[in-house]
Amino acid sequence: MKLTIQDLNKTYSNGVKALHDVTLTIPQGMFGLLGPNGAGKSSLMRTIATLQEADSGQILLEDTPMGTIDVIRQKDSIRRVLGYLPQEFGVYPKVSAETMLDHIASLKGISNSRERKLIVDALLEKVNLSHVKKKNLGTFSGGMKQRFGIAQALIGNPSLIIVDEPTAGLDPAERNRFHNLLSEIGENTVVILSTHIVEDVTNLCSDMAIISLGNVIAQGHPADLVAAIQGKIWRKIIEKPELDNYKANHQVISTQLKGGRTQIHIYSDSPQLGFDPVEADLEDVYFSKITSHQELRVMS
Amino acid sequence: MFWNIFTFELKYRLKRPATYLYGLLLFLYAFLILIYGNGPASEKANVNSPYAISYLLILMSVFATMMSSAVMGVPVYRDIEHNTRSYFFSYPISERGYLLGRYLGSFLILIAIMSCACVGIVLGSLLGPVLNLADNVERYGPIRLWDYVQPMLVFVIPTVFFTGSLFFSLVALTRNVFVTYAGSLLLFIGYLLGITLASDLENKDIVDLLDPFALNTFTNATKYWTPAEQNELHAGLEGNVLLNRLLWGGIGLVTLLYTVFRFDFQRFLAIKLGKKSKTDGVTEKAKPLATLPVAEKIYSTKAYLTHLFRLTKLEFGNIIKDVYFLVILMGGVLFLFLDGWFADQIMGTRSLPTTYYMIEVKDFDYILFVFILIIFYTGESVHRDKAVHFDNIADALPVPNWVTYGSKFLALVGICFLLVNLVIVSGVLNQTVKGYFQYDFNQYFTDLYLIEFPEYLQLLMLAFFVHIMVNSKFTGHIITIGIWVVLIALRNFAELDYNLFFYSYTPGYRISDMNGFGHFLKPLLWFNLYWLAFGFALLIVGNLFWNRGSEGDLKTRWRLAKLRFTRLPMMALVVCLLIFVGSGIWIYYNVSVLNKYQTADETRELQAEYEKKYSRYERVAHPKITDLKVKIDLVPEERRVTANGIFTIVNKTARPLDSLHLLFSSPEYNHPKTKTLLIDGKDPKILLKDTVFRYYIYQLPRTLQPGDTARMEITITAQPKGFTNSGLNRELVYNGTFFDTGIFPTFGYNPNGELTSDKYRKKFGLPIKQYQQPPYTDAWGRSNFLFTQDGDWITFEGTVSTAPDQIAIMPGYLQKEWSANGRKYYQYKMDAPIAYFMNVSSARYAVKRDVWKGPDGKTVNIEVYHHPAHGLNIDRYVNSVKASMDYYNQYFSPYQFRQMRIMEFPRYAGFAQSFPNTVPYAESFGWVGDFRDPDKTDYAYYVTAHEVAHQWWGHQVMPSNTRGANQISESMAEYASLMVLKKTYGDNIMQSRLKYSLDRYLRGRSSEDKFEETLLDNDTRAYVWYDKGSVVLFALQDYIGEERLNRAFRDYVEKDAFQQKAPFTTSRDWYSYIKAATPDSLHYFLTDNFEKITLYENRITEAKAEPLKNDQYKVTMTVQTKKLYYDKAGKETGVGKAKDLIEIGIFAADAKNKKGMTEKVPLYLKKQWLAPGVHKLEFVVKGKPAKAGIDPYNKLIDRVSDDNVKPVD
Repeated sequence: MKLTIQDLNKTYSNGVKALHDVTLTIPQGMFGLLGPNGAGKSSLMRTIATLQEADSGQILLEDTPMGTIDVIRQKDSIRRVLGYLPQEFGVYPKVSAETMLDHIASLKGISNSRERKLIVDALLEKVNLSHVKKKNLGTFSGGMKQRFGIAQALIGNPSLIIVDEPTAGLDPAERNRFHNLLSEIGENTVVILSTHIVEDVTNLCSDMAIISLGNVIAQGHPADLVAAIQGKIWRKIIEKPELDNYKANHQVISTQLKGGRTQIHIYSDSPQLGFDPVEADLEDVYFSKITSHQELRVMS
Repeated sequence: MFWNIFTFELKYRLKRPATYLYGLLLFLYAFLILIYGNGPASEKANVNSPYAISYLLILMSVFATMMSSAVMGVPVYRDIEHNTRSYFFSYPISERGYLLGRYLGSFLILIAIMSCACVGIVLGSLLGPVLNLADNVERYGPIRLWDYVQPMLVFVIPTVFFTGSLFFSLVALTRNVFVTYAGSLLLFIGYLLGITLASDLENKDIVDLLDPFALNTFTNATKYWTPAEQNELHAGLEGNVLLNRLLWGGIGLVTLLYTVFRFDFQRFLAIKLGKKSKTDGVTEKAKPLATLPVAEKIYSTKAYLTHLFRLTKLEFGNIIKDVYFLVILMGGVLFLFLDGWFADQIMGTRSLPTTYYMIEVKDFDYILFVFILIIFYTGESVHRDKAVHFDNIADALPVPNWVTYGSKFLALVGICFLLVNLVIVSGVLNQTVKGYFQYDFNQYFTDLYLIEFPEYLQLLMLAFFVHIMVNSKFTGHIITIGIWVVLIALRNFAELDYNLFFYSYTPGYRISDMNGFGHFLKPLLWFNLYWLAFGFALLIVGNLFWNRGSEGDLKTRWRLAKLRFTRLPMMALVVCLLIFVGSGIWIYYNVSVLNKYQTADETRELQAEYEKKYSRYERVAHPKITDLKVKIDLVPEERRVTANGIFTIVNKTARPLDSLHLLFSSPEYNHPKTKTLLIDGKDPKILLKDTVFRYYIYQLPRTLQPGDTARMEITITAQPKGFTNSGLNRELVYNGTFFDTGIFPTFGYNPNGELTSDKYRKKFGLPIKQYQQPPYTDAWGRSNFLFTQDGDWITFEGTVSTAPDQIAIMPGYLQKEWSANGRKYYQYKMDAPIAYFMNVSSARYAVKRDVWKGPDGKTVNIEVYHHPAHGLNIDRYVNSVKASMDYYNQYFSPYQFRQMRIMEFPRYAGFAQSFPNTVPYAESFGWVGDFRDPDKTDYAYYVTAHEVAHQWWGHQVMPSNTRGANQISESMAEYASLMVLKKTYGDNIMQSRLKYSLDRYLRGRSSEDKFEETLLDNDTRAYVWYDKGSVVLFALQDYIGEERLNRAFRDYVEKDAFQQKAPFTTSRDWYSYIKAATPDSLHYFLTDNFEKITLYENRITEAKAEPLKNDQYKVTMTVQTKKLYYDKAGKETGVGKAKDLIEIGIFAADAKNKKGMTEKVPLYLKKQWLAPGVHKLEFVVKGKPAKAGIDPYNKLIDRVSDDNVKPVD
């Protein structure tokens, strides 16, 4: 089973071009979609989750038990296998977590109420909410709400799971717990995790893509992507006023404060004077791709 | 610091578009009312009279409560909403400076907004005459600054000060803006409550005080102002107005001060701690995800239907769990209950809680709440997922659109159903609490499920559609309400009422215990089908545009809608539209093809044309009917009648007659058709045939010489066709048919069909018509009877047939009754002469029979024909007939018939009418009155006495058709019935009856459209002939003595009863007998009250009592007396200077008489001559005085009747 996206385009009515010829192949397993805020991640997620129309292009979920599903045309079919955790969502404040999950489970097609109860109870336990399952959702804290969101996405054994910026606003412990949970999701499931936190992808994903300004600018296994830039990232500690000077002469991909001084990473095929080599990581991949893409944009 | 905050607030407000929007709204509202000339009720008062300006401004201050809550609620809330409070208060500002600055800045803006209404009125007054949209240029008076400043200062500013301070304080202290919404709603409820209570005269003072807007206070203070006074006077800051303003202004001030002293930043900043679930960070060992059970997933229509049901339940719960929903609903139910509880009052007496009334109250106040609930909660429901951001999850669930969409709709349908059923709950509760157990569930269910429920659904469908299409809660509300405002404004201001074009409108209807839903149900069902089909079509379109997903822009939704427009929705839409168009065509066919539809203006135009064309025939000579034999065949099952009349007509003029003018009755409802018209057995030649106005001139087959007789035979059939756009169409009905001679044509031109309003007469180029009747000196007028010019005294007999289970009644005595051809036949014959004035009534009646025996052995059979379920008050009618017979036979003359019959007819009209020996009586008029409390006016008794009196005054003494002659009929019937009442219940209870007459007279003259005539010359004003007549004649018998006055009337009857030849009697004949009986010293009373318009201003200002020995008390009192004269327009022309005979009374505490009625207990009651001015009087009485007063029984017409009596200190 895989999800293939072909030449997907979307321009909003206010003229913002959200997706530009996006082409991706997403295999089974955890797929990380990395990009800065406003890159078009959520637009892509929403389009796959049937909440938004595309101007052109195709999204297919291939090799499913029901054959190939055309996401754009067969919205109802895709919804039957979908688990979606939106970036932002709300709940009915006066309904309890248990009732709401049971309700969603039935909408997802689980019509046997006994089965439904088993699943809901198990999921509530899984996301550590069983002790508050009778409480109204309006009383939940941010983290609890997010866990509720995960539980609802997992209901009904979905084969396509989309989680959009799931860890935003979670404290480190909660984030950790969430990562563990995601890693448990079965092998024969397509899971798309959209995030702007490189670490999430590093920890979880076997495949990934980077998008920026609506374009896919990199795609592949994280290890391969890191390998491709190995030996091309250099580091230097500089004084802050010098930064503009370095930017003019090098491709500065990131700046970081270290003990009150500024450390910069640059991308260069060859060693540069005064720079030390660095062991490249996914973050360097991410920043190098983003900066080069955005510079291209500015030039063109 | 205060200054900075104040000016900042002003600047901030002046930059907000809402400020201008509110101002513009008020401006437009006032402006439109003014240019369309929708001013006070009377045509003689200016559209911009000080009275009208004040009223309009006060009304605005009621509606501006919403604005007041919006403007005054936010200045503090703003800092909470935008979270600026977290740093704003760290600035060096003081709490009082902050609060007062914000308050005064906003308050000033609020006053400025209110002033926009003044600007609207001024501009409307200037442009109104120029644009002339309402044909009444002369009704725009001068523009005077004080007319605007005065009501602003006295009414508007104190009111908005109160509401503003209240809302401001609520937010400042509770930090919750929703409180202001609830607060404004509560104020509304309080206000509506005031209106409900105000329907009883007794509660006037309480209502005056409790109305926070002083609207009731204002109308009570000004209700007796004549048009001339409305154009000049202002309601000053005195009496109840002053008290009211002090009360509410004071509450506003106290609230504001409390807030200023109570407010502090720390409390305001404190974060509200709600109940939160505790998070525990303990990681539990849960089973791995892979072990989760895998359930079978089912996606079938059956499963979807289950979802639909569950989602509906969830959404229904979401709505009814909302606190505000419950608050508004409780408000609505409270009104439903109170409106039912206070029931309809006739002369202060409540009716029994009949089922039809319990149903009708739903349209009083409840409907407003229903409106608010349906519109607002449709918005809540449609936008709920978006509002709580649950849509991101919900929209991606594998549920078809129609399930989500349908569940929202069905949940709201559930709300509608709940709302409908609350009417039943409230009604049954009301009936049970009042001990009335005749629940008519058939009426409840038919009305609420078949008529009302579809209407709520239509309301819902429109709101639902609008909310989906505009996809924004706020705009959705505005547009939905806007649509209704436009519909209502078009109907009320533009006089458009073609129901086919007005969404959700249906023809009016009335439920009757006698006739059930009668012929009304069918058109209602058709109209509901029509609008429901339209509503469902809207729903289908709405479903196509249902906004699923994150994109709400029009382009995407249009594209999606096209995609969703597949076979099924297309077919459903086509079906709905077919039903809509089909039923529309059927309705159009009924309303406009089978029947004729005219707008109000078209009707007036035709009236004008009729007058222009035929008024020249007004005095054309015609013969008079002397004998009538009828054969009436009623088929109530089909609402059909065939009426055959054989008329003997005689030329009573001095000239030969060769033609006959006939005016046939209107085809409006009953579609009468002339089957035969024969004169002396021949078809007369038609000289003029006008089918529009139904005016025909025939050539008589043989010229009628003076004194000659001819025989005219007419057969008319009538039956309503289909249904009409509106109208009660009450004459031919399934059970309770009631019609009169109007079914036959009348002779010549009938001036009653003319336009009377000056405004419209001018518009259509007709001269102003001052009077409907000629002066008493007019020979033509004196040659005709008051009620009909077609005949003088006639002899009458006839046969009437009807359905086998009904009794049919006509004037006369039953000669024979038999059954044939499955019909029931009744033959009646009158053995005494009667006027050409007969009725036909038929219904399934129960009959109560009794006999009155006179002192001379004469008997009168009394028969009461009533709806079998309405037997409660029958004895009151019987007893009243007996008491009337006693009195009138003794004091006026012997009764001319041997029988008196009263019969009930459905409540499509609300009167009783006296035909010879026959009185049809409306269903709502006494049969269902609740007379258990003896202090309530027993109007069944009283009105019956009035109608029986007409057998003398109107059927023995027949007034001529001249100005003033109506008083001989109506004022005398009133007088006679008052005397019966007095004889039965005693002098001391009469005031409680007469106060209604006084009130109606004073109100009547204040809304006079032309001018008020004197008792001697009044032609058409009921408030003069009933109400002034009552008060004046009652006072007269009190002043000169009942016996003495009755002797004069007896002489008058003896002289003028059954006048065989013209000239017939006039008000001057009547007056001459009254004058002769009145001593010279009291002639001033006659002049004042019969020949002039005179009002007293009597008042007691002080009353003190000192105890003496032996239970004796010395009472000193200060009284004022003043007598004012008015011209016909209502302008004061002078004051009386001579002494008047006025009653002075001192009373012990009220007691109960033998019949359980509260009555006055006079310790001293005597008339004395008083000159105008202030008098200090002193009396010694036996017994402890409780009250004292001048003219304490309001026998004289007094402008302010409730300051005549005062408790004794």
